Amino acid sequence: MHWLSTRRAKTVMVLPTLIIYAVFIIVPVFVAIYYSFTDYSGLGKAEFVGIQNYTRMFHDALFLIAFRNTVVVLICSAVFLLAGSFLMALLMNVSFRGNAFFKMVVFAPYVIAPIIIGIIWGYILNPNYGLVNSVLRSLGLDVLAIEWIGGTKWSPLALAIVFTWQVLGFHATIFLSGIKAIPGDIYEACSIDGANAFQRLFYVTIPMLKETFIINIVLIVTGVFKIYELVYQMTGGGPAHQSELLTSYMYFTVFSSRRYGYGMAIAVAILVLSIIGSFSYIKITTRKQRSEA
Amino acid sequence: MREKRISWRGMIFYIGLAALILLLLIPILWAILLSFKSNNEIVNSPLSLPQVLNFDNYQRAMDTIDFGSMYFNTLLLVIVSTFFSIAFTFMSSFAIARMSFKKRKNSENLYLFLLIGIAIPIYVLLFPIYRIDSLIGILGTRLGLILPYVAVNISFNTLLFTGFLRDLPGELEEAAIIDGCNLFKLCTRVVIPVMKPTFVTIVIFNAVYIYNEFPFASTFIQDSSLNTVSLMASMFKGQYSMDYSGIIAASLMIMLPELIFYVILQKYIIGGMTAGAVKG
Repeated sequence: MHWLSTRRAKTVMVLPTLIIYAVFIIVPVFVAIYYSFTDYSGLGKAEFVGIQNYTRMFHDALFLIAFRNTVVVLICSAVFLLAGSFLMALLMNVSFRGNAFFKMVVFAPYVIAPIIIGIIWGYILNPNYGLVNSVLRSLGLDVLAIEWIGGTKWSPLALAIVFTWQVLGFHATIFLSGIKAIPGDIYEACSIDGANAFQRLFYVTIPMLKETFIINIVLIVTGVFKIYELVYQMTGGGPAHQSELLTSYMYFTVFSSRRYGYGMAIAVAILVLSIIGSFSYIKITTRKQRSEA
Repeated sequence: MREKRISWRGMIFYIGLAALILLLLIPILWAILLSFKSNNEIVNSPLSLPQVLNFDNYQRAMDTIDFGSMYFNTLLLVIVSTFFSIAFTFMSSFAIARMSFKKRKNSENLYLFLLIGIAIPIYVLLFPIYRIDSLIGILGTRLGLILPYVAVNISFNTLLFTGFLRDLPGELEEAAIIDGCNLFKLCTRVVIPVMKPTFVTIVIFNAVYIYNEFPFASTFIQDSSLNTVSLMASMFKGQYSMDYSGIIAASLMIMLPELIFYVILQKYIIGGMTAGAVKG
């Protein structure tokens, strides 16, 4: 391989990726940081205002609501998804007729456009004529027929449920690949020692999947920062911005109210939160690859 | 030999499984049911079955949406962006994983640099890329979407390609080089054929992302003749917000080709992921 590794060959191989990556990923981050220190509003020149945009976040009631909603969605999704996708993976790992079909069904929502998922779930969670509340009312459980979307209280829970449905198969598949990577002789040894199915699950499978659990958690964290279409379709952030997430509030601030400086400060805040979440993912993945090499 | 019969345990298992599958499919099934009802029925008797099986809603969606131009626009973006993002990232990943650098650290640093993108939510990039596009003069054009789409996939593809290329046995390429292969022939004739499953998995993930992409498309595209699938779904809902059954029928029609595509190719997605294509 050394013979072909001329400087020219390497440059040709790397340059296209590097240029596009630099212009459309790295430079934009600095552009965002630059604008976050200005009061740019689309007209005239951008004036530097120091850290004013950042201090403003802490006094902005709508930002704090969006932040709180994001945290609620994150916690609810993490709980639903870790439990749900792990159970799905255990089931996928059992061999039975129809296993492939089952996997296909669980994974399917992941490939549907989020914008359409938002539209469809809007009809299920609509407080008046949606499926969930209609069923609850017909069972006489009117107390449980809450304002899933459109109210001020329950939208983050509704978003977490829909998000869970959307990415359940993705996370289950990651768990499944973790489960399949556990060497079979460990289970054999346990069975010989007389461990039952539950003991094998709690003393072998779950401890051996520690890294997979961490990766799934990190992917859930970064995933929640990508939820936008669901908010846009299901609640529009309303009423009165009470159901915004950080991403949708940022979008509103930038593209609807055209406060570019402040919007970019929110964007940078999202970036920092996401980097904290993802850094560990990259570290784990690269460590694993090295140990495999 | 044991007699083959359905045991009670097996039956309970399958009943439970069927219930679970039904639960997961309810949103889709419900949407299909709604698409045959009238607006009046949806609002006033939500749980009833449609009175008559009418295709009016589909007819309305067909009349309003220009499916031809919508699929053309979307597929053009998908094919061009996926092709270039895969070609470019394969080249750079090959350099990182297989070519010799004077300092090993250089290729490692390049690798980590290209992975940073995983941590950057694309929403952070929306406005800056909007500015960059308008600076270059490609805002609102197809190129103005294709370039960011290529860029957004770089980190993910690098992670998968490099992971696979590092595990490739060196003897393969040594033999090819001794036989007189140059770099281009080595990649296209020797390495890529071995990597077919990895390529299929990456193609699907890239293509699905671009097909479904909404925020970039909705922010950058002004000219409605360039509308993509996601944009059309959202626009239909915006314009006919009171036509509930029409919205559902339109959404289903927009979703259908993708689901068919998925059913055909799903074994590569799930198989590719469990084979360790997505490390983790």
